Amino acid sequence: MDMRILLTLSLLAAPALAQNAPIRVDINAGIAQPLPVAIPVFAPANAAATEAGTPAELGARIAGVISADLKSSGLFRPIDPAAFTTTVTAASTTNPDYAAWRTVAAQALVTGTVTANADGGITLACYAYDVFAGAELARQGFVTTAAGWRRAAHKCADLVYSRLTGESGYFDSRIVYVAETGARTKRIKRLAVMDQDGASHRFLTSGQNLVLTPRFAPGSQTLTYMSFEGNRPRVWLYTLGSGKQEALGSFASMTFAPRFSPDGSALVFSMAVGGNTDVYRMNIASRAVTRLTTAPGIDTSPSFSPDGSRIVFESDRGGAQQLYVMGADGSGQSRISFGEGRSASPVWSPRGDLIAFTRMGGGRFGIGVMRPDGSGERLLTNGYQDEGATWSPNGRVILFFRSSRSGKVDLYSIDLSGQNERAIPTPLDGSDPAWSPLLP
Amino acid sequence: MTATERRAILFAGSAHIALFAALSIGWQFASSPLPPADTAMPVEIVDTAELARITQPPTPSAEAAPQESAAAAPQEDAAPEPEPAPTDAVPPPEPAKPKPQAAAPKAPPGPLDTTSLASLIDKALPKSKIKPLDTSKLAKDINAAQPQGARVDPRAAATLAQAIQAQVAPCWNPPTGGRDVRKMTVVVRVEYGRDGRVIGVPVSGQPTGATAGNADYARAFADTARRAVLRCQPLKLPPELYELWQSVEINFDPESMA
Repeated sequence: MDMRILLTLSLLAAPALAQNAPIRVDINAGIAQPLPVAIPVFAPANAAATEAGTPAELGARIAGVISADLKSSGLFRPIDPAAFTTTVTAASTTNPDYAAWRTVAAQALVTGTVTANADGGITLACYAYDVFAGAELARQGFVTTAAGWRRAAHKCADLVYSRLTGESGYFDSRIVYVAETGARTKRIKRLAVMDQDGASHRFLTSGQNLVLTPRFAPGSQTLTYMSFEGNRPRVWLYTLGSGKQEALGSFASMTFAPRFSPDGSALVFSMAVGGNTDVYRMNIASRAVTRLTTAPGIDTSPSFSPDGSRIVFESDRGGAQQLYVMGADGSGQSRISFGEGRSASPVWSPRGDLIAFTRMGGGRFGIGVMRPDGSGERLLTNGYQDEGATWSPNGRVILFFRSSRSGKVDLYSIDLSGQNERAIPTPLDGSDPAWSPLLP
Repeated sequence: MTATERRAILFAGSAHIALFAALSIGWQFASSPLPPADTAMPVEIVDTAELARITQPPTPSAEAAPQESAAAAPQEDAAPEPEPAPTDAVPPPEPAKPKPQAAAPKAPPGPLDTTSLASLIDKALPKSKIKPLDTSKLAKDINAAQPQGARVDPRAAATLAQAIQAQVAPCWNPPTGGRDVRKMTVVVRVEYGRDGRVIGVPVSGQPTGATAGNADYARAFADTARRAVLRCQPLKLPPELYELWQSVEINFDPESMA
């Protein structure tokens, strides 16, 4: 009985299934290319002037900054505005003419408005749309001073980047580096800071003392670096807000290669005592110092994992410089880099999955990455002398410096994929870059 | 990127860089004492409700407003429509001729360079390496493999699947370089009209490999699959076999990406 019903049902269902069962298609590869995005001038919502310009002027500049940010990532291709067949007004910002944007083959659309506020500040409204789905993807408003319009534009670009790639952005961030001038033998080195895109460039130190290896604290408001002030190479702290500079501890020995812990409460650095250089950790509040390594030779360039549990560093204890990983308390030291040549200056990625480092061998320096267990090593760059890697806040881009045979040094960035190598223009020569976390 | 476009972008880029460099250098050297270090520039983030209030767009927001091109561009959560979407909203597969005779002159200051415009548009369209399908031959093959009135022959379904794969894959621009690349796949269910156009909005399933920690990536990944389906339409498939391909499940898996 039951059997018969089942049989009847399945006989009835068979032709229906034949008609409606969807065909299954497998697509195992696509064509990876920069996403075409239209970024029309942001529309003024009113006409009041601000100290940085009218909303109309700011709208044009803001669209330019967003366009440059997205283009620099190598993942987006801003469409030439000359091809646009429609303009966006404040009224149509939230009601895009998708058909018009499809005719210029835009896949994403970024629009927005700029409002001059009564207090002299501005409000930037930022919208992202999926042109082919005809759907809004994201929106965010940013209220800032008129002078802060660039940061608002970077935050809008970060919104678009993160919504379309699924990774966090990195455009609203800064770079600190060592600006260099003068002859090779009498090099003047000054700390300088600039926005990620090179704007708002400022020198922080006068150049009277040699400075090296600046690094940001997690909040991006404090730097640590090494200075030869008073002819004593020591680790210093620099507070960006006040410009206050402070030597960290009064060690008799040379201290160098400082870096903050991810929570900002501690520094790791190297200290050379009696011909043996080891890694030390200092609690910044109490100034208590713990020695983490004891091996003979030079242990240096410590860098925390983003969860603060481990430290990668370089050591020549095995003969040549190689990378080692240990617990944050110095326990369980084990070598992770092998093979021909030397590996140095490791930096743990902010997303934790990779370590960037300088590979030296065969007369060439290149920036490489490997997993924290030493597997998956690959070289991203290959220059005469590439070194000093630092990660973008999202762990997607690596900034480094390249020396030429003439002694000129310049900053470059490269995508983790090994694509999109770009020179970062600086007013003077640049070395030892450090990328800040995303600004708050 | 075409040479013209590259030149244009390079020129614009270098002009900006030069301008910025000139400005910043001029400013840097004009101030001999070091400028005081600045403090954090506050940028306050407002939520969307507040944003709507602050900016007060004269038209209703995207969620509320009926879209002008609503049929061509249904909302994400709209139910699939029974009829095929209109056909004028999607760029044709051929290099598009510049269209905006009426709108173009008032937008940019100068007249449009129609050749460069055409090349811009052409560039953005996926370049399919696949030869145009001979749908009559395809239908013949499938019919040969499928006795009349019988159930779908698996070989017929496979042939159709290959034809769909060849037409949609060139439009898939999957995310690259992310941490979870190649760990994720997603199935998109698509309903096609007889004209080969997508009906309604393709429905993405839950991507495999999606976790609480990579929800943003999973969403962006699923979007790339949906975008591929919407960009590469109408499909060119034998109309006499429409019943076989009106409903398609496409599994997007970047396993073979370089």
